Amino acid sequence: MSSRLRLGLVAAAGLLGLAVSVYLTQVHSASAALLCSTDGVVNCERVLSSAYGVIGGTGVPTAAAGIAWFAVSLGLALQRWRRPGSALLSRLHLLWSGVGLAVVLGLVFVEIVLLGALCAWCTVAHAMVMATVLALVIAEAEPVTG
Amino acid sequence: MVHHPSPASQRRQAGQRQQRGVSAGGRRRPARRRNPWTAALAILGVVAVLVVSFVLVRWATTPVAVPDQPASAAEAMAILTSIPAADLDRVGIGSATPSVRRISEPALTSPGGRPAVLYIGAEFCPYCAAERWPLIVALARFGTFSNVGTAASSATDVFPSTPTFTFAGSTYTSRFLDLVAVEQDVSGGGSLTEAQRALQQRYSGGGIPFLDFGNRAVLVGSTFSPALLQGVSRDAAAGALRDPATERARAMLGSANLLTAALCLATDQRPAEVCSSPGVLAAAGHLA
Repeated sequence: MSSRLRLGLVAAAGLLGLAVSVYLTQVHSASAALLCSTDGVVNCERVLSSAYGVIGGTGVPTAAAGIAWFAVSLGLALQRWRRPGSALLSRLHLLWSGVGLAVVLGLVFVEIVLLGALCAWCTVAHAMVMATVLALVIAEAEPVTG
Repeated sequence: MVHHPSPASQRRQAGQRQQRGVSAGGRRRPARRRNPWTAALAILGVVAVLVVSFVLVRWATTPVAVPDQPASAAEAMAILTSIPAADLDRVGIGSATPSVRRISEPALTSPGGRPAVLYIGAEFCPYCAAERWPLIVALARFGTFSNVGTAASSATDVFPSTPTFTFAGSTYTSRFLDLVAVEQDVSGGGSLTEAQRALQQRYSGGGIPFLDFGNRAVLVGSTFSPALLQGVSRDAAAGALRDPATERARAMLGSANLLTAALCLATDQRPAEVCSSPGVLAAAGHLA
């Protein structure tokens, strides 16, 4: 797989994750209806209205952190597209993806262990972080190709 | 003339050969290739193990059965929290007594900034027993209950042993409002602040059930008679709500629409799909 194609995949994951994060943040801000199950294990309402739905009791929705993470990831992907040989950008992107994966694992812990409920939209965003991490790790291990 | 490169130039050239994978003798070394999938699979494996661990921790720390919540209570709660909007719209105010009245006070909010709904009742109280039914129906349209237990009013009071639920030990989560529910005769049933007690005194003289909808409306007493729940099991009463034409459904769903209209006053008419539904709009016209 070419490095350009991988970067394209990372950008696509970033765009989808960004869209989901914007949607969840907008739903939180406007108190609009959430398109998600409210019964059983998959219960977005339970997750998003919990104390963990905002960052440290600040009133800032946790989804806003997703916007920031995906925006930075997209920015790094764009820069790497322009400067494909930059080892610094490559390492920065890998480091950023590691930060994202750590946060995702923390949020999954909250969902499963503390709340006993899963938010479907959040899971899509988490999957996009995971896809970004895997694409970047594979890219780091493969020899550079056009 | 033979040119001998300087030591610095030799080091530079050696570095360049190393980068190209070429040995000093000019032969290309076999490239040291890492399998790019190994690291990815390792990460996937670690993540999978962690997620499975989380599930096991949750499974190990979740009580097998919640005391006071037999399957029938869970089924009754499931009915109350999933009444179709069309049934509520069809009933409108039904046969409920429109005793919810608007008030004008500074907005009552929780520490998190959301509108606060204050419920003060007691498990012995038959009118509280009746009003919890529509209150659960109404609040379920704004959020999610968990661990709601079962109860019955006093066996020696009027409307003895009215089947009901209890908010003691329950939790309610919503993006639109916060519920403060106090069952006064239960140890661990919650406690009132001085400000909450003052509100209760001002509007009900200390009587229960007392409901304050974010200081936009209040209800004292029940909006239908507990007589409707006499001599009937909890399951049968809940089952009656499946048919909006029954006497119990007309009373309880009508009451739920009244309470929903009051909740919508507290939340500034959010969520719109609830607050602008025909049943709630019809009930809003009956808020005194």
